[in-house]
Amino acid sequence: MAVIVLGVSHHGAPLDVRERLAFRSVEVLPTLARLRDQAGAREGVLLSTCNRTELYLVDGSGDAVREGWALLSERLGAEASAYGYVRRDREAAAHLFRVASGMDSLVVGEAQIHGQVRDAWEASRAASGTILNRLFQSALLVGGRVRSETTLGHGALSVSTAAVQLAKKIFGGLAGRRAMVLGAGEMAELALASLQQEGVRAAIVANRTYERATELAAHYGASAVHYDEAWAALADVDLLLCSTAAPRPVVSVERVRAAVDARGDRPLCILDIAVPRDVDPAVAALENVFLYDIDDLRAVVSANLERRTSALPAAEAVITAEVEKFWQWVAGLAAVPVLTQFRDEMNRVRERELLAALRRLPDLTPEQRAAVEYFSLSLMNKFLHEPTVRLRAAAANGRGLGVVDAARYLFALDDKAPTSSEPAEPQPTAAEDR
Amino acid sequence: MTAIAHFVAITCYVGAAALAATPFARPVGAPVRGVVALLAAGVIAHAAGLLEYANRVGQLPLTGLGPSLSFAGLVLAATLLVVELAARDVSLTLIAAPLAALPTTCANLIGLVPGLEPAGARGTWLFAHIALSFVGIGAFATAAAAGCMYLVERRELKSRRFGAIFRFFPPLATLDRVNHVAAIAGWLGLTLGVVLAVTYSLAYRELSVLKVVWAMGAWLAVSGIALGRVVGGWQARRAAIYSSVSFAAVVVLYVAFRFAESNGGGRFL
Repeated sequence: MAVIVLGVSHHGAPLDVRERLAFRSVEVLPTLARLRDQAGAREGVLLSTCNRTELYLVDGSGDAVREGWALLSERLGAEASAYGYVRRDREAAAHLFRVASGMDSLVVGEAQIHGQVRDAWEASRAASGTILNRLFQSALLVGGRVRSETTLGHGALSVSTAAVQLAKKIFGGLAGRRAMVLGAGEMAELALASLQQEGVRAAIVANRTYERATELAAHYGASAVHYDEAWAALADVDLLLCSTAAPRPVVSVERVRAAVDARGDRPLCILDIAVPRDVDPAVAALENVFLYDIDDLRAVVSANLERRTSALPAAEAVITAEVEKFWQWVAGLAAVPVLTQFRDEMNRVRERELLAALRRLPDLTPEQRAAVEYFSLSLMNKFLHEPTVRLRAAAANGRGLGVVDAARYLFALDDKAPTSSEPAEPQPTAAEDR
Repeated sequence: MTAIAHFVAITCYVGAAALAATPFARPVGAPVRGVVALLAAGVIAHAAGLLEYANRVGQLPLTGLGPSLSFAGLVLAATLLVVELAARDVSLTLIAAPLAALPTTCANLIGLVPGLEPAGARGTWLFAHIALSFVGIGAFATAAAAGCMYLVERRELKSRRFGAIFRFFPPLATLDRVNHVAAIAGWLGLTLGVVLAVTYSLAYRELSVLKVVWAMGAWLAVSGIALGRVVGGWQARRAAIYSSVSFAAVVVLYVAFRFAESNGGGRFL
């Protein structure tokens, strides 16, 4: 039994390859059913997002990787393995944990992937089983831990979201705040969209492109204002966003001072994303005015990126610990049928030898027969106690699979494997009962 | 038992402050639950210690310097806990938890020795005055802590530095709101405390000039902030500067009076 992941992602596959390998949710179960039938995959989950397509499989027969690539290649119309990767066992678990934490994402630390992993697991529920259910549960838990215990997902990574982050640092929530946007260009629109998502009420100010401003205002539920009418309203806004194409500053110290004086102690945040700048830098010296230009916003973005990257070792430590925990569980699961089989086999030997011995001792009273039987049982439990405990311990501490294989070989258990695919619980020994 | 409980409380307060400071050392988020749990454990241990003390000596920990300081520490820590649970932010712990640990440590060093307690209605009157004054001073200290943090963060934002303070301090608006609410609560507590003190002095003809001067100083300071905020429309930097500076002045005045009184052979508060 092996846990396998194979697939393609933004690391190695260009967009057109990823597009062709994207699966709709209705295709998930038929695809996994095909892998179960043709490759003997005991369990399967298919994760398909715009950045990756991955098959998580529990391989029963050893053909799952070949069949998985065949399926993806068929869909791609070319050899899919050239763009992809395969990870097994611990590496497969670690890979999924990294994916769910956003560490493997195009934008490191993005949160959307957590929900996508959950959706993929839900969509594949009918094809997943004990091991993959546990693996995906653990992955979602790890994703949550990494997000809450590290700074991997903290901070904005685009100029427009950095603008929102800065404004939030001053005002807290932005819902109900008033903003004025100077200019109606593309950058202004992006910032306006981000602000509107936060519940900011905005007015768009434009002269040369007033038509465009009206259009934007209608689209974002804002109002359009002519340039000359704007300055009187500046005292009422909390946020001024400047993005005009003016060749020299249009927001002077005098204009802002007049507004600030009328505002009392309320802070005014000015985000100047225009190049060349729209706001006279001397405005920053005014009381209760917080002025940021495009370089400041980029500094916020790069600080966030740096911080996210610096959080990777801390996130990696969480993942290593969780992979170990998951693998102990898997190894323990692998030991259970071997222990059961081992014990059954020894019991069969005991019964056979006991029968032979009793046949040679026909004169024993029922009490004496019972005593001999009890002796045989007790002796077997004593002999089995230590190997049972050690097999369990070895399975739990990560050396399990090797030791379990050795036990299987030493006691010739492979030839007498049970037919049931679900592992049975091992019986406790008499010594353990005590 | 009381000493052990105090030791546990101090350890928890200092531990909570250290835990709240972890984001400054490593790229991890502040462990909010851990900080709140540690602070809550400290408050519980502290309260248990003072309850045990009250049971043992048969009076509330409101008279005598040691018990009063310990009670002040408890009020501050409990106020901090309430603010953090309401704001879901633990950065205030950085300043307020050491502020709570300091009087608690002093109380332990001085020793928890009860003062002379008047009995009956007079005793209740005095206790009510002391308890309300402590609540007022605790809230005033919280307003000052929020004000200090506001000024530090504002400086970072004005100078366009996007380091640890930018990342882990709450928004300026949140600190301003905490300052506002704490200033009003401080004014309410101290006003009631002072009214009870004045009526007590008049009724029982007990008067200490230094106590009156200090109490009126503290009351005027907190009234100044409350009035400025409610009537004068103070916000942000002005309120932050005023609350930090006036609280520091009240503390300096307390130390000066205590020093002057102890030189003269008496005991100030």
